Amino acid sequence: MNSQIKISTVIVTLVSAILVYSSFILGDSENYLFPRLISATIAILTIMLWFEKGEADKSTNFKDLMPGIAIASAFILLLKILGFYLASMIVFFTLVMYYTKPTESKDFWRVLLIKLGVAFVFTFALYGLFTLLLKVHTPEGLF
Amino acid sequence: MEFLNYFDNVFTVYHIALLVGGTFAGIILGALPGLSPTMSVALLIPFTFHMKPESGLILLGAMYTATVAGGAISAILVNVPGAPANIATALDGHKMAQNGKAKNALHYCFISSFVGGIFGVFILIFFTPPLAALSLKFMSTEMFWVAILGITIIATLDSKSVIKGLLSGLFGLMLATIGEHPTNAVERFVFTDHLESGVHIVVGLIGLFAMPQVWNLLENFYAKKNRVFSATGDATLIQSFKLVFSKLKALSIGSIIGSIIGIIPGAGGQIAGIVAYDQSKKVSSNRENYGKGEPEAIIAAESANNSMVGPSLIPLLTLSIPGSPTAAVLLGGLLIHGIFPGHDIFTKNPEVIWTFIDSLIIAQILMLIIGLFLSRHSKWIMKVPDNYMAVGILLLAVFGTYSIQNNYSDVLIMFTLGTLMYFGSKAGFSPVPVVLGLILGTMTEEKFLLGNLIGNAKGSSFQHFTSGTINIVLISLCIASIVYGVYSSRKSKKIKA
Repeated sequence: MNSQIKISTVIVTLVSAILVYSSFILGDSENYLFPRLISATIAILTIMLWFEKGEADKSTNFKDLMPGIAIASAFILLLKILGFYLASMIVFFTLVMYYTKPTESKDFWRVLLIKLGVAFVFTFALYGLFTLLLKVHTPEGLF
Repeated sequence: MEFLNYFDNVFTVYHIALLVGGTFAGIILGALPGLSPTMSVALLIPFTFHMKPESGLILLGAMYTATVAGGAISAILVNVPGAPANIATALDGHKMAQNGKAKNALHYCFISSFVGGIFGVFILIFFTPPLAALSLKFMSTEMFWVAILGITIIATLDSKSVIKGLLSGLFGLMLATIGEHPTNAVERFVFTDHLESGVHIVVGLIGLFAMPQVWNLLENFYAKKNRVFSATGDATLIQSFKLVFSKLKALSIGSIIGSIIGIIPGAGGQIAGIVAYDQSKKVSSNRENYGKGEPEAIIAAESANNSMVGPSLIPLLTLSIPGSPTAAVLLGGLLIHGIFPGHDIFTKNPEVIWTFIDSLIIAQILMLIIGLFLSRHSKWIMKVPDNYMAVGILLLAVFGTYSIQNNYSDVLIMFTLGTLMYFGSKAGFSPVPVVLGLILGTMTEEKFLLGNLIGNAKGSSFQHFTSGTINIVLISLCIASIVYGVYSSRKSKKIKA
């Protein structure tokens, strides 16, 4: 078993243990009958997972992935403060600016203006579609 | 011939507009490498909330049909299948593009998709009502085993590891138990206020399918891209039609195999395309040209993956077991519109279901017309940069999730679930069984509790669940699917070694 498989198996075991604990210890027998059946089966399969000869897990390119997750997480947290459209425009611009290919134009200001323009047009199109046309609620924020 | 009575409902300006829009968007989304039909249908579901059930289903059906066909565009021009169903198409389609015949390949692809698709819808029309009548014999314990069978089949077919597939399905069932108990409203597993209303089906669908795609696009953003070929070639439409219909053997093999595989719960277009490709190669007189740009190969693969669409809805509409991963998502769409699959689906909701099925025929025709038109401009479709695509999916996912119940907690659940699923998929876990577990969870628990109650009254709950012909057949099928899953995963490991 390689180290990546070991880590994922340990995580699955921990999740299974939490499920078994919350179904059998925290819950009463009447309301937790079905979760108990499922979590017990999960526990048995988790034990079997330790003996499975698995293939190596796919490696993760954290260097390129984590900034994206951080920007998107900030967007989710900012939704309630800035509202959907303002937060969307900011996350759109930030993500496309951060993820720039080396082959793109070297003229920083030109790239910045184009991406800002696309972010604005995209957000405005979302506003037109969701709020004006479909009349659907979006997170409003404080402003 | 009851289906003929409901064509009027399809031919309204509103429904035709939905069909055109759904097909147009579906082909474009299908053509974008990495955006699967399953994710596209999942993202679309919130937009159908405010529609009448038949309108919502028409839009979802058009999207399902078109994304499967659209996936062939990127398979041919970039050698990256737009959906797993187009893997077999890429083998010869891309070779034709390299030989300067991408336009020909795209023509063959859309024409054979159309023929296969129409064939599949007719199988759906004629086989669904008798199977729905058969489902009358399914009581609580049988329905419990049907749900377990659906999860077992999808878990064993969609994952490389049977154990991980089954664990994924069971995690989905556990997710469905979060929130209120189905019969006495006692709160379970509510560790934070955000989990008070449980995990909504659509929140799970969007999180499990859309968010991993966002992370995937960003993680591989700097990786080298494949060359995109232009849709060049010497074929006229009439020549292409003549060629496709002259390859009747490949067309029939694809359409029949696709339909059979579509009916098998959980199998999906990927298997249909590959099996049809393989079988048509075996009987073809041009078998030495397979893999070098053989039109018959494209015709067999594409007619198969589109003929799978209609039949994949047969077990879904009659027994709640989806025939493909996208059909699993469509099940979520049916449930949120108050359509419950089963024996009475054609008596309780005939207008909705027949209108939906009729619309699939029109969707196939529109797919052919719009597909042939868009394939000329397909090179530009595939030039959408990954960073723009990722942020577009992220914003639609957040909007779609929030719009379900105007609840910020849903957004947090979607984001967390999707991110965990991304890392889970790296470790070999698949989102499809999780989603099916989540969708079928409440129904499974209700049937389990009812069966348990009746069983206890009779003296033995265990005996109640394990007696009766249908129960025994269903349990045997569950075991057989697990055994088959173990066998095929060992076989594929041996081949790799």
